[in-house]
Amino acid sequence: MTNPVKRLQATAEEFKHKDSKDKKRYIVDTILNNALYILMLIFIIYTANKQPNFLTWGSFANLITQVAAYLPLALGIAGCIVLTGTDLSAGRVAGLTAAVSAVLLQKTDFANKMFNNLPAITPGWILVAMLIVVAIGALIGLVNGFFVAKFSLHPFIVTLSTQLITYGIILWFFGLNGNNGQPISGLSQEYKNAIGGAMFRMQNVPIPNYVAYALLLTVLMWFIWNKTTFGKNMFAVGSNAEAAKVSGVNVFMTTMLVHTLAGAMYGYSGFIEGVRSGSVAASTGLNAECDAIAACVIGGVSFVGGTGKISGIIMGVFVLRIIFVALTMLGVDSSSLYIIKGAIILCACALDMRKYLVKK
Amino acid sequence: MEEEKKDDIPKFRGLYRHVHISVKALDTIIIICIAVILIVTFTSMRDPGFNVSFDSRGGTDVQTVKYQYGDLMEAPEPPTREGYTFVGWYQDPGCSDEWEFDTEKVETSMTLYAQWKAN
Repeated sequence: MTNPVKRLQATAEEFKHKDSKDKKRYIVDTILNNALYILMLIFIIYTANKQPNFLTWGSFANLITQVAAYLPLALGIAGCIVLTGTDLSAGRVAGLTAAVSAVLLQKTDFANKMFNNLPAITPGWILVAMLIVVAIGALIGLVNGFFVAKFSLHPFIVTLSTQLITYGIILWFFGLNGNNGQPISGLSQEYKNAIGGAMFRMQNVPIPNYVAYALLLTVLMWFIWNKTTFGKNMFAVGSNAEAAKVSGVNVFMTTMLVHTLAGAMYGYSGFIEGVRSGSVAASTGLNAECDAIAACVIGGVSFVGGTGKISGIIMGVFVLRIIFVALTMLGVDSSSLYIIKGAIILCACALDMRKYLVKK
Repeated sequence: MEEEKKDDIPKFRGLYRHVHISVKALDTIIIICIAVILIVTFTSMRDPGFNVSFDSRGGTDVQTVKYQYGDLMEAPEPPTREGYTFVGWYQDPGCSDEWEFDTEKVETSMTLYAQWKAN
């Protein structure tokens, strides 16, 4: 790693020796390449002026909590993007696993309990429930991975169909035992405490336990991406599948495993999403993959394939969340947020392509 | 020789491999996107706030109210319904999470659901 100060000095020195036309181009390039970061800064400054609450530790705690909730999904999807694919089923898988974990961990004395023969809520059962939903997520991921790897179908097609199939299963699930599509509520206090219980408080805003879990997952994913053969194979397959095959990488297994790992991450996201929203409806997790994909692309996990860093993904999730927290505080309605999200995704992809073209 | 080889490889790999686009066109797209984001933000900020609607579920209608971020809500006039007593407003249709008007602040658009008890 080079010293950032020295690097900046070198850039400044280089900049001095350029003629005026090159200087102008350099400035335009810098502005455009960092367009989303500049946009974020504009929003931060504007919101800080309008809402004095924005630049407080309480609001920072809120931001950290949101990042911790959205990060696992992005970490999962990033692997699929590194393989030049994507995963459109992420949000629905998280929705399904949220519903399953809510049902498994409902209050034992809740009047509208969906299944009555479940064990008492103990730490052991909460752990088992988590493993069950992670396994469900991994299984759907495995199906995705199998079709992508075996038949070289484009992940867009495969995951679009699993997205719809998963939604169908969600609707079935909500109709079980006379539930009639009603949202699942009445989550047990033990489950809520295990996930959303406060570790400590920042200006009276609690930092829930899942922030620590997100940190652990990030370390785990960093380790998998950077220190294991599987991680290295993933990048090799992402940058050139044919070359990877020739050099002895098992492309089939790598693709399957990347999608399975992603599925497991969606399963975990669903597990915490239930607690976050208090009750789980059939619409839980809708479009969650869009946020995750946008965060990855902003963070430099390129659709070109074979590139990306865990730190970039964290950065991407932060940028996206800061923009949304700022917009919410400004009173921008959720309908406008969808338009803004769409524009951010297109902009992030254009930036991604631009960096690739200019580099060449 | 090397130069020729370089031209042979497609411009983009991965998801973009069929894309033919110039840097100039990309710049235009980026600028348009940023403009859209700013325009949408500032138009919706001319009338900022979040709509809170009340689903009285069989009771008399309750008007939707607009609140700003971080506002405490004022409890609306309780709805009435033949043969039932009004219990309170809940954040979920399952009526497990009651809205605390004294402490909870508006942070997004939402619907509150009425809970009824049969007389």
